[in-house]
Amino acid sequence: MGLQVGSNPMSMDAIAALLVERFAGELEDVRIQEPDTVVARCAREKLKDVAARLKADADAGYETLNWIAGVDRETGFESVYHVYSWKTNTYLELHVDLPRETPEVDTVTGVWPAADWHERESWDMVGIVYLGHPDPRRILLKDDFVGHPLRKDYVDLAENHPHV
Amino acid sequence: MYDQFESPEPDEAVKLALRRIDEATARGEGSDVDGLAFNEVVVNMGPQHPSTHGVLRLVVTLDGELVKDVIPVIGYLHRCKEKLAERRTYFQYIPIVDRTEYVASINCEWAYVMTVEKLAGIQVTRRAEFIRVITGELMRIASHLVAVGTFTADLSPLGTAMVFYMFRDREIILDLMEELTGARMMFNYFRFGGVRYDLPDGWTSKCRDYLQKFPKMIKEYEALVDDNAIFLQRTQGKGVITQQDVIDYGITGPNARASGVELDLRRSRPYSVYPELDFEVRTEQHGDIFDRYRVRMDEMRESVKIIEQCLDMLPKGPVQVGSLRAPYVITPPPGSCYVGQENPRGEFGTYIESDGSRYPYRLKYRDPCFCNLQIFPKLLSGNKIADAVAISGSIDLVLGGIDR
Amino acid sequence: MVDIIVGILRAILFVVISYAVVFVAALVNIVFERRALAFMQDRHGPNRTGPHGVLQSIADAFKMMGKEDFRPLLADPFLFTLAPVTVMIGAVAIQLVIPYTGGLMATSLNVGIIFLVAITSFTTLSILLGGWSSRNKYSLVGALRAAAQMISYEIPMILGLIIVAMVVGSLRIEAVVAFQSGYEWIVFYAPFSFLIFYIASIAELNRGPFDLPESESELVSGYGTEYSGMRFGMFFLNEYAGMTIMSMVAVTLFFGGWMGPFAGAIDFWGVDWIGIVWFLAKTYVLVFALIWIRLSLPRLQVDQLMAFAWKVLIPLGLLNILATAAIMLWVPSWKWGLAVFSWVAFFAFVGLLDPILKRRLRKLRERQPVVSA
Repeated sequence: MGLQVGSNPMSMDAIAALLVERFAGELEDVRIQEPDTVVARCAREKLKDVAARLKADADAGYETLNWIAGVDRETGFESVYHVYSWKTNTYLELHVDLPRETPEVDTVTGVWPAADWHERESWDMVGIVYLGHPDPRRILLKDDFVGHPLRKDYVDLAENHPHV
Repeated sequence: MYDQFESPEPDEAVKLALRRIDEATARGEGSDVDGLAFNEVVVNMGPQHPSTHGVLRLVVTLDGELVKDVIPVIGYLHRCKEKLAERRTYFQYIPIVDRTEYVASINCEWAYVMTVEKLAGIQVTRRAEFIRVITGELMRIASHLVAVGTFTADLSPLGTAMVFYMFRDREIILDLMEELTGARMMFNYFRFGGVRYDLPDGWTSKCRDYLQKFPKMIKEYEALVDDNAIFLQRTQGKGVITQQDVIDYGITGPNARASGVELDLRRSRPYSVYPELDFEVRTEQHGDIFDRYRVRMDEMRESVKIIEQCLDMLPKGPVQVGSLRAPYVITPPPGSCYVGQENPRGEFGTYIESDGSRYPYRLKYRDPCFCNLQIFPKLLSGNKIADAVAISGSIDLVLGGIDR
Repeated sequence: MVDIIVGILRAILFVVISYAVVFVAALVNIVFERRALAFMQDRHGPNRTGPHGVLQSIADAFKMMGKEDFRPLLADPFLFTLAPVTVMIGAVAIQLVIPYTGGLMATSLNVGIIFLVAITSFTTLSILLGGWSSRNKYSLVGALRAAAQMISYEIPMILGLIIVAMVVGSLRIEAVVAFQSGYEWIVFYAPFSFLIFYIASIAELNRGPFDLPESESELVSGYGTEYSGMRFGMFFLNEYAGMTIMSMVAVTLFFGGWMGPFAGAIDFWGVDWIGIVWFLAKTYVLVFALIWIRLSLPRLQVDQLMAFAWKVLIPLGLLNILATAAIMLWVPSWKWGLAVFSWVAFFAFVGLLDPILKRRLRKLRERQPVVSA
């Protein structure tokens, strides 16, 4: 009949157990955040593989990407992926830690096409480089903007505001 | 002769469009007329344009009248909301959330306030929950009136008449909201644990009067538009969003429901008192422009039903938790939370990370129009430019949310 | 010798009066339309300049005249200026044959109806000139499309007019008006022909649901993109003047011209002064109908436009002529026969067009695929 919401509902514990079982080495620190989100961490090298397998999973396929956020932790960066599973009607929040000097991670646009603009915004605002992104341009700021505003150590430069 | 003219340097988006034309020609896919290598022209439907709703810039690659490719350029309304959040207390930030999707600002406030309440563990009073639903659904009706009005305005002078009739109905809603909150568009009404003001005397009877008259107005609008053969010919079968697109691009709201996907966050991820209310999730099967229009009209009727039920079920009690003064400075415990809410345009949510201080550490918006806009290149290609205008009107974009 | 001088003076007087009529009609129509549209859209419209806003057009005209006059560097200098100058020739020249009232007629051509039809093509020429001389790809495309539309719709217009000639038996406009004395208006005998003529004339004017050429502001404006200031003003005024002129033609041929109660009462200098009142009143009823139609219908797309002309109006117009001719030849009291046929055809067209279109659309809809993952 087409796309249905929640065609395979499972309890949150069952989903968490399923993820722990199937993604034993890759997803760490799987915990449940009420009422319907599973939070997990993933290493950045394994992200591409994990993403593809998460999407293709038969019981809880996380087929839709909701958003990607870039966060500046003082000690490093973090790329947060929020994905949705139609079958179980639940969310999964993936946190990927990135080192401070080289905030690079593989793009997931091959897995979730919606990642395109979200990753561009993360690059634009926080400065996380998504390797392999088809169109790495700034999205919200002007093309020759210098710096990444949502970083905690961002200082506003005069050359970014020539009209003021 | 040409020295006095300086062509401006094409910017990144136009350069990208030109590069794509070159690549397509190199691959042999460029349109070939009389031995000319390519026939496409890159045209800018600039940020100021009567047909793009808001400051949206579309770099359109045209082949004659056919749209080959569209590159949307956004950011003209960027107001650094996410950075502003890091320097304001949670309470000081509420008016700023209002201005995200300004057409239905109650729903934006609702998502933010729900997220903070979940982070801080604040309970909402029952009367306030019902008032939240009433105002949220009233603004849903107002937002759909704007969406459908401006969409039909793109099609013809008939539409410009429709805009005025629909705005006239919207005025009554804004009058109701003004009486309740003091503002017509940016309400600053929700508080953590409740709402700021209680319903004034006589408000419920005015609201009921309006709800009595409104379904007849919807019928009038449908009679003007639905039955019009020219309108049907222009909107049926065009701009189809398939269910695969809904999955791939995260499209939510009426755009997804018009493609047969029964995704409504009020049902699938219920919040507030929606589980106790009886309403239908309206879907249509074809996913074209006409269906998106129909879903919005039907949703207005459902909203009327919801508001009537809420007015009947409205309990007595306080509208704010604790004493009458709202908690001005709250410090949620460290942690992060995301709550999505059914905005008239789709799923609007805020992801807040708190580090225990009185300012949020990171605030990220999940904006429905941002996600819906990604499908533009795919949706508009292959259509004539006039259809492109109709399609972009039917997606219902509000640039405030896209650019934040 | 004196005749030649009098002739030249008469010609000059005619030109001056015609241009005056065209400009005044255009200015009046602009304000009339803005206020009528506003009234139907539940708002006021311009009501500040002058009592009830009647001086708004004059203010707009001053504004337009004060704009910077430029022409694109690459545009053909002579043709670019020629186009707006010649655009009003059609509207002006038609008044050669329209009787404003008994005795007030420029000239009585014995091929009046043919002259009417020939002169209405002039606007097409000017639009093409304007679009081509702008050296702008989009202007040219817009002008070509406007020309295609206007040429296509001239044919149904003529097909509607032929009935008038058949019924009256003469091509002289005076004879047409005289035939309609005593409330024997041709529209009562042949409403179907009037309908065909009227719809075609709306498309000729680029008005109402047929305004695709001027609505290209969806992307770029059509033939008028490179024109600004008074050059554009000329195209703009011509469109509004055309509304009045075309309504005058319709009134003259179908609605009895200047005939009406007490039309011949005041006869001064050989001119019936009450006739003008009736003429203008009937004309402005038709102008209001044009504005009303514009407001009520969405714009037709270019393929719908052409299909409507060639597949609907022209075949029906031809059938109408055949039927009228048959009735006039073989039915003894042909006036009654014609009236019966034409009214039946009128109601059939009005009643059946919509359901037929809707049924086709419904069938298309059923065949449209339902989206699924």
